[in-house]
Amino acid sequence: MTTSADITSESRRLTSTGPLGPAAAIAGVAGLAVGVLFGLRDGWDVFFRSYLLNYTFVLSLALGALFFVLLQHITKAGWSVALRRLAELIAATLPLLAVLFLPLLIPVVRGMAGVYEWADPHAAGHDTTGLLAHKQPYLNVPFFIARCVIYFLVWVLLARHFLRQSVAQDATGDPRHTLAMQWWSAPGLLLYGLTVTFFAIDALMSLNPHWFSTIWGVYFFSGCLVGFFAFLALVVCGVQRSGRLARSITVEHYHDLGKLAFAFVVFWAYIAFSQYMLIWYANIPEETVWYRPRQGDGWWVGVSLLLLAGHFVAPFLALLSRWPKRRKGTLAVAGVWLLAMHWLDLYYIVIPRPAGHDHAAAPLHVSDVALFVGLGGLFLAALLRLLTRYPLIPERDPRLADSLAFENI
Amino acid sequence: MNQGPDKTNPADEPRLHALLLELDSPGALLTAAERVRDAGFTRWDTHTPYPVHGIDNAMGTRRTRLPWIVFVFGLVGCIGGLLLQWWTNATSGAAFAFVPTFGQGYNYLVSGKPEFSLPANIPIIFETTVLLAALAAVFGMLALNNLPRHHHPLFNAPRFRRVTADRFFIAIDAADPRFDADRARALLDSLGGLEVEEVYDAPGSARLPQWLVITIMIVVSLALLPPLLAAKARLSKSDRPRIHLIHDMDNQERFKAQQAHPLFADGRAMRPTIPNTIARDDTLPDPHLDAGRGEDGWATAYPPRLDITVDFVRHGQAQFNIFCASCHGIGGAGDGIIHQRALRLDEPGWIAPTVLVSDLVRERELGHIFNTIAAGIRSMPPHGDQIPPADRWAIVAYMRALELSQHAAREDVPPEKRTELQP
Repeated sequence: MTTSADITSESRRLTSTGPLGPAAAIAGVAGLAVGVLFGLRDGWDVFFRSYLLNYTFVLSLALGALFFVLLQHITKAGWSVALRRLAELIAATLPLLAVLFLPLLIPVVRGMAGVYEWADPHAAGHDTTGLLAHKQPYLNVPFFIARCVIYFLVWVLLARHFLRQSVAQDATGDPRHTLAMQWWSAPGLLLYGLTVTFFAIDALMSLNPHWFSTIWGVYFFSGCLVGFFAFLALVVCGVQRSGRLARSITVEHYHDLGKLAFAFVVFWAYIAFSQYMLIWYANIPEETVWYRPRQGDGWWVGVSLLLLAGHFVAPFLALLSRWPKRRKGTLAVAGVWLLAMHWLDLYYIVIPRPAGHDHAAAPLHVSDVALFVGLGGLFLAALLRLLTRYPLIPERDPRLADSLAFENI
Repeated sequence: MNQGPDKTNPADEPRLHALLLELDSPGALLTAAERVRDAGFTRWDTHTPYPVHGIDNAMGTRRTRLPWIVFVFGLVGCIGGLLLQWWTNATSGAAFAFVPTFGQGYNYLVSGKPEFSLPANIPIIFETTVLLAALAAVFGMLALNNLPRHHHPLFNAPRFRRVTADRFFIAIDAADPRFDADRARALLDSLGGLEVEEVYDAPGSARLPQWLVITIMIVVSLALLPPLLAAKARLSKSDRPRIHLIHDMDNQERFKAQQAHPLFADGRAMRPTIPNTIARDDTLPDPHLDAGRGEDGWATAYPPRLDITVDFVRHGQAQFNIFCASCHGIGGAGDGIIHQRALRLDEPGWIAPTVLVSDLVRERELGHIFNTIAAGIRSMPPHGDQIPPADRWAIVAYMRALELSQHAAREDVPPEKRTELQP
């Protein structure tokens, strides 16, 4: 059992991340440059789809972190306090992510039908179904931009508010900060639920403007949380490897991270199947149109089956027992695997073109990987910088003692 | 807690059940438990007002086997749910003739899906898995804890009552193989607790009192009666009406059609329509609109009450595609999917749907076509009950447009559009 006295002797500040920070930043810039070069060669449609894929990947990790922070406050959780600052710092990358979202407005404003068909001013005219014209009051460029401004405003303000209150408490130890965060967590979660749902509809569902799924927002959200818990487990492993938080984060915290990752793996499968089964059962062309390119040719059938096996069956069996969740090694492997599967899920969402459109020559393009390195590198560089700026643990949180003494029964 | 075999003591002297040590803090309990564990006792337990962290390690209890029980039952639920659906829906009596009829499957086609279809089976599999796993968790937990039991000898110790308030206890069972009353007492004395107490089995027999046994037997016998009656009813026949326990609104006092009624002069319960009136919201009969009748024979014009507009024809197109196109084809060429399927299956006696854009149909009067939609012809079923008259007229109007579109001359195209035509 760890007590507050024990952690005063341990290191809980990261003064420098060594060569890792600059390396991540350089890799990020280089990845983006390679992506742009391939965009010049193979067309900007490919570039922006890859960008959207990898952007939603890093964004989903930060959104998962924001949800985690809000959830801990609304439930007055004690066990998670030792982990909460790391989540707060992951969520604090949202201002950077808001800036990195700006390039995605280019295909919208320029009306590039290869990315967002609805943004093309001529699309409604060619559309024989009349659906694009019908959805025009919602899916139009000015309203899209206005909504995105609202989403990022909400996320950035929430992330900043919770980090600031938490850091302010490090200095004063005033429990009123805890109460303030708790008060804001309820409206925060309400805003979070609405913004994430509509963001998923705008950024991802509208890639096929003829299609709709009422469970879409939850589907995206469940993926965010799978990615986040996998990522947080890796961040905790990394921080402990650097010798920090060696005593305050215990096997019990790893166990709970594993449990949450497991829970959201199941939740993701539940939601993904709920969406699939209703569409499969009804078999109405308006709805099956989304699955058509994804079950149409061999590559995408393979990706679908890999998602079923790799995003659900394998992690379900691997994380079912107690011991894999209580060992850093197995949990880290599961974390890397789940992050890869979460990327594959977004790849499965973003890259297939709607039925009736030309398919790109190769379903996996160099820019998909280059921009993963690019955006992932920038995201990681920002996170590493944040990690050096703040204590790695809410040092004077009133529930910190609970968290340090926490044990799974 | 474990209890030794229940023997009645011939000397009627209370038998020692356990040695009980009372402690006043969880910390003291943990230290004491470690000592008892290290002394090698196996049949002993701790009792606390709330869960105490670290007690598992201090007692040296091995982890519960419950997860394995839950896992096995979950697996059985999973496979069982799958087999259940396969057996009931994807097997037929022919394949398993040795099974009695009531146990045979019934191939039931739902939504045109395959009879054994995983996506449709998964919700059931999920439910049966969760059901069996949850039941195994609850009842397995009870069984592993030796529950339910109606009494425990520790309740004979008065000071044990404070276990639900503020005291912590260690009880070493007298049935422990290493138990020796003096040495165990010496060990507990050395642990620094508040008090060590000997707990005895309750005096008297542990058997159920005779009146309780008789009552239980009577209740069980009575409980067997309803299933026996139900079984008899299933096997025997009777010409009496069934016993009607709950009437709800099954038998109402009211007059039915064709019954006599004393109130009206003609003595009938049914009232005839009053001459020269129509029901509210009804319209006067219009043979042109309702039946396609003209002055003599079939009507050759649309009913004057309808406006033949572009929207009206579009509406007719939608109705046509719903009701007619499956046989007559979207273009009216008599090549709908049902016809194509019948040809592919080589269906005997299949009558090909009429080609609606043929000269035969083009020369038919409007009213004749209207009537055919309503009444059907040859193997075409009547659609009068499905399609209201106005919609039928809309279909007729659309058919006329369809015929025109396929017999159009170059001159029918507006001059400014003619340049777009392929030569």
